[in-house]
Amino acid sequence: MIRYHLNAIAAVLALTPLVASAQTGPIRVGVVTPLSGTYAGIGQQVKWGLDLAAAQINAAGGVMGRKLELVYEDEEANPAVATQKAEKLLQVGKVDFLTGTVNSGSTLAVGQVAERNNRLIATTVSFADSITADKCSPNVFRVNARAGMQSAALADWMASTQKNANVFYLGPDYEMGRSTVAAFKTAAEGKGAKTVGEVFAPLDNKDYSPYFGQIRGARPTVIYTSVAGNDTVRLFTQMAEFGLNRNVQVVGASGTVTSQNLAAIGKAADGFVTGVGYSPSIDSAENRKFVADFEAVNKSKPDLYGADSYGVLFFYKAAVEKAGSTDTDKVREAMRGLQWATPQGMKTMRAGDHQAMQDMYAVKVVGGQFQIVGKVSAGAAIGPDACTRF
Amino acid sequence: MLDWLQFVLAPQVVNGLSIGVAVVLMALGLTIIFGLLDVINMAHGEFYAIGAYAALALIGVGLPFWWALALTPLLMAVVGYAAERALIQRVFHSKDRHTLTLLLTFGIGIILEDLLKIAFGANPLRIEPPITGATEMFGLFFPNYRLFLMASGAAVIAAVWVVAFRTRLGAMVRAAAFDRNMAASLGVPVSTVYAGTFAFGVALAGLSGVLLAPIYSVFPTMGRDFVLIAFSVVIIGGMGSIKGAVIAGLLLTQAQSISSLVISPVWSDPLLFGIMVLVLMWRPHGLFGRLGHG
Repeated sequence: MIRYHLNAIAAVLALTPLVASAQTGPIRVGVVTPLSGTYAGIGQQVKWGLDLAAAQINAAGGVMGRKLELVYEDEEANPAVATQKAEKLLQVGKVDFLTGTVNSGSTLAVGQVAERNNRLIATTVSFADSITADKCSPNVFRVNARAGMQSAALADWMASTQKNANVFYLGPDYEMGRSTVAAFKTAAEGKGAKTVGEVFAPLDNKDYSPYFGQIRGARPTVIYTSVAGNDTVRLFTQMAEFGLNRNVQVVGASGTVTSQNLAAIGKAADGFVTGVGYSPSIDSAENRKFVADFEAVNKSKPDLYGADSYGVLFFYKAAVEKAGSTDTDKVREAMRGLQWATPQGMKTMRAGDHQAMQDMYAVKVVGGQFQIVGKVSAGAAIGPDACTRF
Repeated sequence: MLDWLQFVLAPQVVNGLSIGVAVVLMALGLTIIFGLLDVINMAHGEFYAIGAYAALALIGVGLPFWWALALTPLLMAVVGYAAERALIQRVFHSKDRHTLTLLLTFGIGIILEDLLKIAFGANPLRIEPPITGATEMFGLFFPNYRLFLMASGAAVIAAVWVVAFRTRLGAMVRAAAFDRNMAASLGVPVSTVYAGTFAFGVALAGLSGVLLAPIYSVFPTMGRDFVLIAFSVVIIGGMGSIKGAVIAGLLLTQAQSISSLVISPVWSDPLLFGIMVLVLMWRPHGLFGRLGHG
């Protein structure tokens, strides 16, 4: 037994130089993202964005001369699976950095795993405000826009088109739905809108028609919804069938209508407006090049998830090069206050809560295409820093 | 006020009626099988799902929706007949008939659900509605397919009633339900009537599967959503009563629909089960008597 232990220790000692020499091998980035299940469509955009960014960075010489290597794990949009996969990537895969989580619950859970293992994670998708507010972590960063920022742009647009709108809220009944509805309600009421009712439907609901009675009774001029994926397809189709969207402005969260489900919704999506941090129609040289590169490889347009996942590797690259190392403490220090270039322009990582600041857009669906109808500057959209842990 | 009746209450009542017809279709098959065979068919929801998948497969090989609608009940009748002959008959004559058939159909349901998962995957699939667009009457705006669902459902319910109470076949079924031995001695082929009735109930489940697929999508666990409500309807209406299933089905879905104007629709299911408990306290055998009795 003792001999066995000694052997084990010898083996560990023998491995130590290998770990040290990893400083010169490729930099490994672990991606915990849903490649199957309800959010598989979102995971697909995440993977396309990351793969494209890694290929471009490596072709241009890598990060401090080292190549980026992506290691994927399927989290099935399930926080319990996500923590296991993250633990595996950190312990066995020896990754230097984590990204890819979609479900807000997965991001919060994997954030704790990263904290225990003293590594950093950045989400590129999750909306829930709490991730960079009351549940913030020194090891978690968010490069995409959170619910509050999306709401700021949307509420601004709504106030400019309708004075004192009567808004009805219909959200999916889980953390993301409750958080997005609360965020938009605050933003809209701050601009003078009135709340005439709210109702929550289970995730993956099949028939929304029983919910329409309350909407009819409330007589809203605006309906806000934050359902996503296939739920949006059913909700919008049924609203059109029942004539519920006649003379009513339908607005929603960034994830409600995206390039991914727009085709399935078809004409019923026309006129929908959302507040979002990215649109393929942003008119800049960087974005036009990004959209062209993305379409050439993937035969599909990028949406907000694809664009922000593309951007996160440039964020990591800039931080590592500024720190001159992949050491967690040095990279964290470099990330705080960092400015970096993305397809949608320069972003700044706010040091106080690890939330990226960026310009926000109001985007409208017209004839099956997204059009920008409003813009709010980064400083006006971000809102106060509510993180007290660091 | 009048405005509220027309634009808020009326559409909700009409929509409740379309859901009610769907629930009654499910409950009819259950109650007929129970009324005659004294078997609580726990696999009813899965037969409903198989009906929807059969239609999906038939449409997949290029048949139009209407052909799938006509062929699926026939196909399901064959499945039901085979299931009765091969499985249910085996345990039907033993002393613990109630327990054994309950367990047997429960097991069949679990196996069928997993088979569907293996064959078609767990993700929901769509059948496009064969009738699109909407009709506007009296300021009400209502999808045409749901109007068709109500009309065809009412026709099926009427047809079942005529067969059960106005034909010789129906009389034989009712006679067998009332007194099996007497019916047999008068020349009713009782075991064929049993298998045929089971097949008929399964065919009804399959038919509801096809009719409801364009609204609710097709997925392996789709039966669970409806079968619980259908069971409550059968229990409230009186186990084995056709009239009871129709009346209870329409009343309960109206209660759900109208209450949804005030409470969140997710709370309308607990409301339904609450009503069921109250009815059982007041009338333990449900509102109406059993098939062939009274």
